Amino acid sequence: MRWRFYLHLGLWSALFVVLIWISAPIVGSAVMENRVGPAETNRSIDSYLSVLTKVDRASDKFSDAFQGLGKEGRLIIFTRDGNPQSEFLGMIMAYISWPREVQLIKVPGDTVDKELVDIKPGMVAGVLFCSVNPPPWLENRVKLGSRIILVPVTRASP
Amino acid sequence: MIVVGLLAALVIIFLAGFGVALSILARGDRVNPVECACLGWLFGCGTVSLLLWICGMFCSGLVLQMIVAVCCLALAIFGWRTKRIANSRFDLPKPANIIEWILGSIVVLEIAALIFVSFKHTLGWDGLLNWEIKARYAFLSGGSIPAAYYSSAGRVFSHPEYPLTIPFTELWLYLWMGESNQFWVKIIFPLFYAACAPLLALLVFRLSGKRWVGLLIAALLPFVPSAVANPGSVVVGYVDIPLSAYYLAAVGYLLLWFRTGDLRFIMVFGAASAFLPWTKTEGIILWGVFVFIGFILSLAKQRLRQFLVSIVPGTILIIAWRIYLRLVHMWPHSDFESPGFDAIRHNLGRLGNIFGILFAELTERAHWSIFWFIAVIALIYLFASRKLEKIALALTIIIPAVVYSLIYILSSWPSWTAHMTSSFPRLLLHVMPPAWLAIGLALSQARREAQPL
Repeated sequence: MRWRFYLHLGLWSALFVVLIWISAPIVGSAVMENRVGPAETNRSIDSYLSVLTKVDRASDKFSDAFQGLGKEGRLIIFTRDGNPQSEFLGMIMAYISWPREVQLIKVPGDTVDKELVDIKPGMVAGVLFCSVNPPPWLENRVKLGSRIILVPVTRASP
Repeated sequence: MIVVGLLAALVIIFLAGFGVALSILARGDRVNPVECACLGWLFGCGTVSLLLWICGMFCSGLVLQMIVAVCCLALAIFGWRTKRIANSRFDLPKPANIIEWILGSIVVLEIAALIFVSFKHTLGWDGLLNWEIKARYAFLSGGSIPAAYYSSAGRVFSHPEYPLTIPFTELWLYLWMGESNQFWVKIIFPLFYAACAPLLALLVFRLSGKRWVGLLIAALLPFVPSAVANPGSVVVGYVDIPLSAYYLAAVGYLLLWFRTGDLRFIMVFGAASAFLPWTKTEGIILWGVFVFIGFILSLAKQRLRQFLVSIVPGTILIIAWRIYLRLVHMWPHSDFESPGFDAIRHNLGRLGNIFGILFAELTERAHWSIFWFIAVIALIYLFASRKLEKIALALTIIIPAVVYSLIYILSSWPSWTAHMTSSFPRLLLHVMPPAWLAIGLALSQARREAQPL
């Protein structure tokens, strides 16, 4: 039965060699890519925002912009349906705007228009457009980054 | 100061878990410190997250931090006292020959490399928006997740219903660092790998009797691309590798209990399996697999009572989390329809495509190399052995993979195939370490006599 033992050993050795042969380049590239750091508080979120909006240390800057909207009112975030980058950007905005209540709205086209009609100004602090364009008639735009526009909503006096 | 806080947080997690593991394992003559350390990390994360969740309902801030730290130190002291009373001693197993030394060194180097590499990558999509988000909000609120988060319709994308092992382990680090640092928090994920790899080596050794096979299997673990290089891997901060580590521990110690009848092993199983549903929602499926397989194993050995007691902690955690979600008025999630006869009948036509995607994924070399091909050969070995414990091991791999596939019958995504292709590869990671365990047993099966059931 010695031949069975050698057959067994040969089979498993071959399988492991093929496993490593295929995996090594994939695993190796994952090991080699990127650099360590920086060891910053918002390391991950700033890294994504840097790519998506071309703004460095964006989380702090955007948080400041959201705080400027006042304490009350929710933030409406428009993203483009079926566009992962736009949706991801919208979610990150929802993430950093805590504790403000947010409402994520996906729109089918690249311009928001009729979706704005339903918004009640008294309950909204601002409207954010992530990789979608605000309607041409909307004023008071603040460009936060390359794909992101904030429109603060001015409250009516009581 | 941030690094000092980080180290303090890690040491306390480790002490708590080490205490729990020691209080179980020290009931024998000897305690393997490597085993205790691996289980220490797993149990430590589970314990600290549970303590933060429970105590966070009553207090916050520094008080919460101190209460949890004191509880952790108490667990460490309890474990140490148990060891002293039982008069057991630490016994570090040393490699017996040059091959074992080399393989052991490779395992250590791989762990060190993964710790280094994980700091080169950012948190992935889910790592950031499903898991870390909870840690940050809890940190900003003094140590507990505000009720407003659970009922926030605008943040339903972050799955508020997901359980808290990982978010609250991250929270623990944040509390000690004094800030929600997304760079240093990533240390916890390679540490789960560092617990998983030696545990895999140890379990293969215990179940096969060959240490070099265990070390070889542990050394091969990172050569599955999905484990280190794809979404869900160690380096991107997802919970799938931590969940797989708990699953491996539960599978391994259930089999050891079946073989030896040692009560310590069923206690470790009880603890490890309890943390499955506390780590990820899919953990309930894995826990359910154990209820089924453990029931059969315990019946075969007429140890049903021990097994039933061991699943009590998991049952309590599942029920407690459900009640909690009800109390905080959690916004219902929408990834899956409610399982009902009509929904299943309506979507039954998906079955063909589901198994097509399953096959495509298992044979995707960029994700798995030929890992699943090897695993299938190992499963054939296990079934051919006609030993109940090996067939049970095979079932702990096959049943979750099949159930995970079938749940997409109830996917409520507009494109359920996109849902499956984006999330299914990560679900397969859960059964990867037990599949390596199966490979180790198959590899060591040569010249061993098959025993009837």
